[in-house]
Amino acid sequence: MRITRQSSIVTALVASSALVLTACGGDGDLPDAPAPGATATDDGDAADGDQLSGALDGAGATFPNPVFQDWAFEYSGSVQPGVSINYQGIGSGGGIEQFLLQTVDFGSSERYLRDEDLDEAAEARGCEAIQFPVLFGAVTIAFGDEQLADLVLDAEAIAGIFQRDITNYNDPAIAELNPDMDLPDMEIIPVHRSDGSGTTSVFTTYLDHTAENWELGAGTEVQWPADTIGGQGNEGVTQGIQQNAGGVGYVNQAYALVEDLPTARVINDDGNAVSATLEATTEALEVLDIPDNFQFDILDVAGEGFPIAGANWIFVWECGYDENTGAMLRDYWTWATQSDEARDLAEELGYAPLGEGLRARVAESIDRINSQG
Amino acid sequence: MSSSASPGTGPSAGASTTPVEEPSALRSRGAARYSDRAFTIMLWAAGATVLLVLGAMVVRTVSDALPVFQYQGFFSFVFGTEWHAGFSRQEFTGTYGAWPFVWGTIYTSLIAVGIALPMSIGVALFINFYAASRVRQLMSYSVEILAAVPSIIFGLWGLLWFVPTVLHPFSIWLNSVLGFLPFFGGSVPNVNYFHAGVVLGIMILPIITAVTREVMATTPVDEVQAAYGLGATKSEVLRKVVLPRSFGGIVGATMLGLGRALGETIAVLMLVGGSQRFDTRLFFAGDTLAAHIAATFQDASPETLVALMGIGVVLFIVTMVVNIVARLIVWRFAKTAGAGDAL
Amino acid sequence: MDPQAAGAVSVAAPNRPTREPVGAPVFELRDATVRYGSFTAVKGVGMDIPRNEITALIGPSGCGKSTLLRSLNRMNDLIAGASVDGKIMYNGEDIYAPDVDPVEVRRRIGMVFQKPNPFPKSIFDNVAFGPRLNGYKGDMGDLVEESLRKAFLWDEVKDKLKESGFSLSGGQQQRLCIARAIAVDPDVILMDEPCSALDPIATLKIEDLMREMKDEYTIVIVTHNMQQAARVSDMTAFLTVDIDDEVGERTGALVEFDTTATIFAGAHDKRTEDYISGRFG
Repeated sequence: MRITRQSSIVTALVASSALVLTACGGDGDLPDAPAPGATATDDGDAADGDQLSGALDGAGATFPNPVFQDWAFEYSGSVQPGVSINYQGIGSGGGIEQFLLQTVDFGSSERYLRDEDLDEAAEARGCEAIQFPVLFGAVTIAFGDEQLADLVLDAEAIAGIFQRDITNYNDPAIAELNPDMDLPDMEIIPVHRSDGSGTTSVFTTYLDHTAENWELGAGTEVQWPADTIGGQGNEGVTQGIQQNAGGVGYVNQAYALVEDLPTARVINDDGNAVSATLEATTEALEVLDIPDNFQFDILDVAGEGFPIAGANWIFVWECGYDENTGAMLRDYWTWATQSDEARDLAEELGYAPLGEGLRARVAESIDRINSQG
Repeated sequence: MSSSASPGTGPSAGASTTPVEEPSALRSRGAARYSDRAFTIMLWAAGATVLLVLGAMVVRTVSDALPVFQYQGFFSFVFGTEWHAGFSRQEFTGTYGAWPFVWGTIYTSLIAVGIALPMSIGVALFINFYAASRVRQLMSYSVEILAAVPSIIFGLWGLLWFVPTVLHPFSIWLNSVLGFLPFFGGSVPNVNYFHAGVVLGIMILPIITAVTREVMATTPVDEVQAAYGLGATKSEVLRKVVLPRSFGGIVGATMLGLGRALGETIAVLMLVGGSQRFDTRLFFAGDTLAAHIAATFQDASPETLVALMGIGVVLFIVTMVVNIVARLIVWRFAKTAGAGDAL
Repeated sequence: MDPQAAGAVSVAAPNRPTREPVGAPVFELRDATVRYGSFTAVKGVGMDIPRNEITALIGPSGCGKSTLLRSLNRMNDLIAGASVDGKIMYNGEDIYAPDVDPVEVRRRIGMVFQKPNPFPKSIFDNVAFGPRLNGYKGDMGDLVEESLRKAFLWDEVKDKLKESGFSLSGGQQQRLCIARAIAVDPDVILMDEPCSALDPIATLKIEDLMREMKDEYTIVIVTHNMQQAARVSDMTAFLTVDIDDEVGERTGALVEFDTTATIFAGAHDKRTEDYISGRFG
C-alpha cells in the first residue's frame, strides 16, 4: 500500500505536535514553519569572500544541535555579522521531510538520503540534492555503576544484553570477555531510547551488521523486548542507568563525556577493546572507505577505532537558491567544515569533526551548492 | 479594557454612560438592540466554533489514520500486540498493533484512580466536615495550587526526586515482601506502570477533590439533620448520607480525573517505562497511547506517523468508551436510588 | 432577667382539659439561654414540659422557638458557635453536662423537620435507617411495618416499600419521616413546624396522628399556625422578641407557658393576647 498524501501527513505532524505540546504544557521545539527558499534581504551580487547578509533556515537532527547553535553564534559573531542562521532541531525524520518539501534552506539528518530519496528530490526541484557529512559521534555503552567502568563487551554480548538473553553481569559470556574483572551478581536492566532517535539507529545498525545473534533489526526505533526500559533522550537514558542498580544504556559520546559516565570498551573488527574517546572515533573514520556519494554507515571499524559511531549529514540543492542564499550556504558550510575554530568548537562539545581526507572531499560538494543556478 | 468611556464619543458609549445633555431615547434603544444582536451572534459563533474544531479534529485525525487501519485492519491495529515501526516514506512496512499502549493507558489510569479516589474523598470530607475554617481555606487553596502545577513539573519532580527517594525504594520493598505473587514480581526498574500511575494519581487528585468537595457541599442540610436526628454519629452521617448522596458526583469527578489520566502525556512519558511491551506485572516498564505518540512522533518516518495518528484515534475511542461506561454507572445508580439529580 | 416567665409555669393548672400529667416532667428548663457566637437567640427560658402531652411553642418570627426546640436534643450542636447556658434537664439529667454524648441524646429524642426530608432511598430503607444505625437485632420487616402503621402510612405504601421515598406525596413523605423517627423507639419527638409545607388535608392527617401518638410519646411542636396549636396541643408556650434598638439585637424570650385552654381562652399577658388575636406578629 502506498502512502499517498505526504504533504498532508506533514501538515498533520505539525498539527499533532502542536496538540501534543499543548497537552504537555508546552516544551520542546516546534518546527517554526520556516519561510521557504530565499530569505535574503537584498539580491545584490555578493560573491564568496565578500560581506554577506541575510538569513539561512535549517532544520533536522537534534543530535548535532548544540554544535550547530555554537557554530551559528560564532559565525554570526565574528565571521559574517550580517548572516543569521536559524536551526531547528526537529529530528532526523523531520529534517529529511522538510528538506524534500523545500521549506528550509538546508536539512540535516543522522541518516543519509537513499537513492529513492534522491530521485524524489531531483523530481521535485529539477536538479540534484547534495549531501555531505559534517560531524561524527560515537555511541557509547554507559553504566550507572562505577565498578563496571571499562567492562569489555563485544557485539554479541551487547546484543545478548539488550535482547535479555544475558540478564546478569556475572553471565559466563561477559566473564569470558573480562577474565580479570570481579563481576558483580547483579541483574542487568537495559535502558534504551523511548523516542525515535538517530542514536538508536546507529546502535542497532551496528548490532544488526555485526552481531549474528541480533534479531531486532535496525532503525530509529525497534521493538525492544520486555523488561527493558526506555528513556526520553540522552537525559532519560542517563536517569535510567543511574537510578537502577545494574542499569546499562547507550548514549551519545558527547553526552557521556560531559556527564562523565562510566563506559564499556567495545571490541572492534580487529579484536581490539577500544574505549570511546574522540580520537578513537576519528580513527574509526580514517580507516573507513567512504563512497563519493557519501552514502555510508560506519561499520566494520578496525585498528584502534571505536566501532559504534554515526555521522550527521547536511542536505542542500544544486539549484534554485537566489544568488545571495547560495553564497551564504557555501560560505557558512565551508567555514563549518574547514576552519579550525569550528573544529575546536565541535571537539569541545564532544563531537568528532571531519578528518583530513574527508574535509577536502566535503569541500568539493559544498562548491556544488547552487552551481546549476 | 475598552469599557471605559473614551473622550471620542461613539453612539453606544454616549448612551450607556450618564449623559450630560439630553440623550435621544430612540438612539439609545437602537444602539442597545444592535449590541444585543451582536452579542447573540458572538455567542452563536463561540458555540459553533467548539463543534467545528471538534469535528475538524475528529475528521482529520481519522482520515489521516485511515491508511494504517486499511493496511493493518482496525481490530488487529487495536488488539495487535506487536508494534514494530517501519521506516518507509512510500509504503507500510512495519507491524502496528497498539494493544501494549492501550493496555498501559488503562493500567496506569486505573492505578491513578485507585490511589486518587479514596484520597480525594478523604480530603474532601476532611475539608468540608472536619477542618476548622482557617485550615479549610489553607487546604482548599493548596488543592487549587496542586491543580495548577503543569504536568512537566510533575514529570520532572517524579523522575528526579519523588521516584528515586520515595517511590522506588517503596516499590523495591513491596517487591521483596510480596514478590512471590506474580502481580508484584519481576524486576523493579525506576520507571514502570506503578510509578507512572502514582504520579498520575497525585496529578488527578486536585480535580477529583475539587468536584467531590462541591458535590458533598450540596448534600441537603435536611438529610444531614434527619440522620443526626435519628442518632447518627458524624461518621455515620458522612458514610450513610453524604457519600451515597454524592455518589453520582463522585463518579463524575472520577471520570474527569480518569479523562485527564488517560490523556496525560508528558509526566507519564517520563515515568511509565517507554517500552513497547505490556504485562500484568505492576512494576513492568510499559508505555501508554499518549506517551508513545509524544515520544516517537518527532523522529517518526511517514508511515509510522500515520500509525501514530491511528494511536490518536484509539485514544479518542478509549476515552469515549470510558465516558460512556461512567455515564451508565451514574445512570444505573440514579435509577436505583431514585436520586434524579446525579451528574 | 425574666423571672416572670419561670413563674408563669403552671404544670398543674386547675382547668386542664385533658388528663393529668403522668409523673415528673420530661424536660425541665432553668434559665436556658441559647447563643450563636455573640448573638443571643433566646434568653432565660424556664419551663417544665410534661410527659405524654403535646406541648406547642408559638410566637412571632425570630422569637427563638425553633432554636429552643433544637436545643432540647442538642441539634444546635451542629451549628458552629452555638452554646447553651442555664440548665436543660431531660428526665432529671442535664443534657449539656460534659460527659453526655449528644448522639445518645438524639437517639432518645427524635426530630421531625419543617420540610419532609426522606433520604434518597426506598421507603423501607428510610424507616430502617435509624434501627440499622443502632444495630437493631429483631425482624426489620416487622419493625418497619409497625412504624409505618403507627404513622398511619402502612396501608398506603405496603405494596411499594421498595420504591423511593420521593415517590410519595408531601404529606405521605412527612408521615414517612415520622415513621422513621418512631422506628428508633424514642421517648420524645420534637416537631419543627411539621405541617408548614403541607396542604390542609395532609395537615389534618398529621394532627390526627399526633394525637394518637401522645399515648406513647411526648411531643413538642413548633408551629406558626395558632389554630393548629389550639387543635392539637395540651400545653402552649408563647415566646416573643425583645428588640434592643440601641444594639439592634433581637432576642427571644418566653412570655408565658400554660395549658392551651388557658392561653387561648384568656392569656394573662397582653402580648400573648395580641398575638393570638392577630394584632401582632
